[in-house]
Amino acid sequence: MSERGSGPAAAAVTGVHGAGAKRWHGVERSMYEWFPIVDYEACTGCGLCLLTCGNGVFRWSSSGNVPVVADPGSCVLGCTTCGKLCPEDAIKFPDDPKLFLEKAIRENRIYPQVRRELDERLRKYPDHRVTGGVENDGK
Amino acid sequence: MTENDNGFGVWHGVDRRSIDWHPTVDEDRCVGCGLCVVTCSERRNVFGFDPERRKAVVIYPENCMVGCDNCRVACLWDAISFPDPSPLRELARSLVENGRIGEELEIRLKTDPAMALT
Repeated sequence: MSERGSGPAAAAVTGVHGAGAKRWHGVERSMYEWFPIVDYEACTGCGLCLLTCGNGVFRWSSSGNVPVVADPGSCVLGCTTCGKLCPEDAIKFPDDPKLFLEKAIRENRIYPQVRRELDERLRKYPDHRVTGGVENDGK
Repeated sequence: MTENDNGFGVWHGVDRRSIDWHPTVDEDRCVGCGLCVVTCSERRNVFGFDPERRKAVVIYPENCMVGCDNCRVACLWDAISFPDPSPLRELARSLVENGRIGEELEIRLKTDPAMALT
């Protein structure tokens, strides 16, 4: 993992959706196991998890009429969105998301990379650079 | 910014504005690390950032993905809060019961046949 941004490594860590290995703030996504686990006793096959996931983690078993976790490595570290929406509470995760992410954040010292990503985000979307916090209160 | 022209205005047929789900930043706790800002996708981009005060600011709350609280999870300073998620589950249940989710699933599998495992 690169420390200060220079050379090819810096180019490789700028995003999470680049070609090749998925990265999470500069860290190889594959170092971590984080994915939904479907309890098929409880799952009614409504499909909301598949519709909700923006990362294509789920596919659909037409024979069983249930979702299948087909691409666990694409699940966003710490994300539990599908689980919170599941009407049957049929989706679990390997760990408490906050404890899991805190550990990953601390052991990889991601903040220098986060800072670079923040600068890049504000360069790309200048309207997100706000001052005073009053004129843009979301109302 | 009042109108949603980005496709985020409706959630499975429900007016997004009727769904109480977005982050709130506690500025007394926020240290300005920016992780929440970059955790949120560029498409939704709920947060702004005040470089002078070094605070994250919620500027597009209605862009927040229903059920997602990844920014809250990522914040080591516990500076971000969300409403109780249990009403979302109830809303989801009603959308399954009235057939809306089933219709969308059918369309999705038709539009994207590779989604289905044979």
